[in-house]
Amino acid sequence: MARLIREKDWAATPLGPVPSWPQPLRASLSIALRSATAAGVLWGPDLLFLYNDAWSAYLGDRHPGSLGRPVSEVWADIWPALEGQFRRVYARAETVNAVDARLVRSLGGRIFDSYWTYSLLPIGLEDGTVGGVLAQARETTQGVVRARQDHFLLELSEALRRCERPAELLDAALSQLGRHLGAIRTGYGEIDPEGDRFRILACWTDGDAVDISGEYRVGHFHGAASDPMRSGRAVAIEDGEAPGVLSDDARAKWRSIDTRAAIVVPQMVAGRYSAVIFAHDRAPRLWTGAEEALLAAVNDRLWQSLSRTRAEAALRRSEERYRRIFEQANDLIFTADVDQIITDCNPATAEALGLPREAVIGRSIREFVSEAGFEQTTRMLRQKVEHGGTTRHEIEVQRADGRPLYWEINSALTMDDAGRPIGLHAIARDVTDRRRAEERQRLLVNELNHRVKNTLALVQGLALQSFRDGRPAAEARDAFQERLAALAVAHDLLTRESWEGATLAQLVEGAIGHHNEAERRIDAEGPEVTLGPKAAVSLVMALHELATNASKYGALSVAGGRVILRWTLDGGDRLRLEWREADGPGVRPPERRGFGLRMIERALSADLGATVGVDFEPSGLVCRIEAAPAGRDS
Amino acid sequence: MSLDGVRILLVEDEAIIAMTAEDMAGALGCRIVASAATLAEALAAAERGGFDVALLDINLNGVDSLPAAAWLKRQGLPFVFTTGYGSSGRDPAYDDVPLVTKPYRLADLGAAIAEALGR
Repeated sequence: MARLIREKDWAATPLGPVPSWPQPLRASLSIALRSATAAGVLWGPDLLFLYNDAWSAYLGDRHPGSLGRPVSEVWADIWPALEGQFRRVYARAETVNAVDARLVRSLGGRIFDSYWTYSLLPIGLEDGTVGGVLAQARETTQGVVRARQDHFLLELSEALRRCERPAELLDAALSQLGRHLGAIRTGYGEIDPEGDRFRILACWTDGDAVDISGEYRVGHFHGAASDPMRSGRAVAIEDGEAPGVLSDDARAKWRSIDTRAAIVVPQMVAGRYSAVIFAHDRAPRLWTGAEEALLAAVNDRLWQSLSRTRAEAALRRSEERYRRIFEQANDLIFTADVDQIITDCNPATAEALGLPREAVIGRSIREFVSEAGFEQTTRMLRQKVEHGGTTRHEIEVQRADGRPLYWEINSALTMDDAGRPIGLHAIARDVTDRRRAEERQRLLVNELNHRVKNTLALVQGLALQSFRDGRPAAEARDAFQERLAALAVAHDLLTRESWEGATLAQLVEGAIGHHNEAERRIDAEGPEVTLGPKAAVSLVMALHELATNASKYGALSVAGGRVILRWTLDGGDRLRLEWREADGPGVRPPERRGFGLRMIERALSADLGATVGVDFEPSGLVCRIEAAPAGRDS
Repeated sequence: MSLDGVRILLVEDEAIIAMTAEDMAGALGCRIVASAATLAEALAAAERGGFDVALLDINLNGVDSLPAAAWLKRQGLPFVFTTGYGSSGRDPAYDDVPLVTKPYRLADLGAAIAEALGR
């Protein structure tokens, strides 16, 4: 450089030949030329520019043409920003220091930002005035841009973390990116799995540009120019109007959306072209490597955040679905920790226990079951811990109001990530009704067994009494059959009334109705009275024996004989019943009382608590019964 | 083994069955000296005494006859349970009391009475 300056013909310039240069200029220039960083001297009222080797690198193809030229010409694009500073150095002999000052360059038809750290020092003359400026400069664009981008990405990450829904996330990222780049439009699109269509999910604009959200086929905006993206490479187009850059079709599309510059950065996921982020500008724009890197970084963060929010949204939906099942299930669902403290329960569980949910949660299972029940649940828990799987058992549970419930509980352990049990989840069903039905059934079967045995004992008694020694076999057989039939009638009546008892009129009809089939020989009448089961059987058997006796020996053994059967209720609880035979043969007391009369006396006195009187009056047999209708033990 | 002349208190709520028991007792040479069909009658008859052994129906028209059994046991009076239920679910305190299930078999009834009398 020093040689270049020495050899240049300065005589024709305002500086004049080198030997005539004032001492301060020479001294300053000497310093500048020996500086490793960019340095130079701007001399005289026109600030003619002399610079060192480092500075020549900044000038590019404008070196060496710029040597000795006025600075207002060399730095024409930034001169308006710098003129005031030089004036200050000149007029007041002040030093100007600038750190990372932004200078908008306009070179070769391109406008771009650049950042500089520089100092301008006055060079004093012997008379005390300022003769020139010693300048030192360092371009800091890269560092400044990187720092701004780091800051931007940090803020973006912060903002994305706060977003919960994919749409919010996209809005935040695209608007911040658009403002940061000074773009007219930014957008984010996803490519379908087949790779031939893509959807712009979100689009930010500066307010003037049109929103291009929507679904397109791949290549819609760029034609073949978008091909590199399939293999993960970004596409940056400085000027879509420049010849050969876009197809006619693509250019027409760009015009329709008022766009001349675009950068599109693809996102590859597992080797597949999956998403794009893009920025557009209205004017031609040289997209820098830093900007491309920034878009890639935003793309990456956006993809991750979208995956997160989508997964979270899916999880929320799934949780919501299961929460609804949990809330609405009729089954009782609850969870507990390993100490059997209830950690959650559904409304059905709370309702079954007769408590609000909050009053169930936090309490121990122990509080709802007996000591033995708690041993059972503890045993079940231990079984699951030791052998895994699920358990199923029935247990008595105490409701808040003290009522016992039976639950059938199915439960399994809940594990942490390391496979250690941290609690259990259980589904229970209230089987109280079933348990009660089973219990009732057991009682019924037991009772049935008793009744059958009892009936067999009765049959045994009837057989023994019917087949007594010395009685003609045919007669005994007939008597036995008649008695069995009477017993069957009594059972029929009781079965019809579910063994609750039967009315006296029903019993009379059942016991002696067949004697009235041809003509009405037994005239029965009385108020409605209900008899208990045992009394009913006894009365039917007694009436049967009376009628049989009357048919054999009494009023019903001759034509025209009658029986008048009357009953009354005294004071509502004392039954008086009279069997009076009339118009029969003359009767006398028998020498030996047969089974029939014995039974009447015994059975009725035993089963009805009745007093029974049998008289053989000249007009016929009279049987008077006085009893409590329901039987004496009821 | 003779049961001739053994005096029996019969506690049975079902008249026909009571008559059966009566006839069977007669066939065994025993005599029914007192009958009862309710718990109250049974307790009263037991207190009156005059019998060697009691035949006690466990269920008297739905009422448990155990109070009568307890009284007899306290007095050291021998007795036999009769029942239409099976032998399960009995009070273990009366495990040593003979049980005859209905319908009766003459031989079973005789053996139970003999066992109760320690014969």
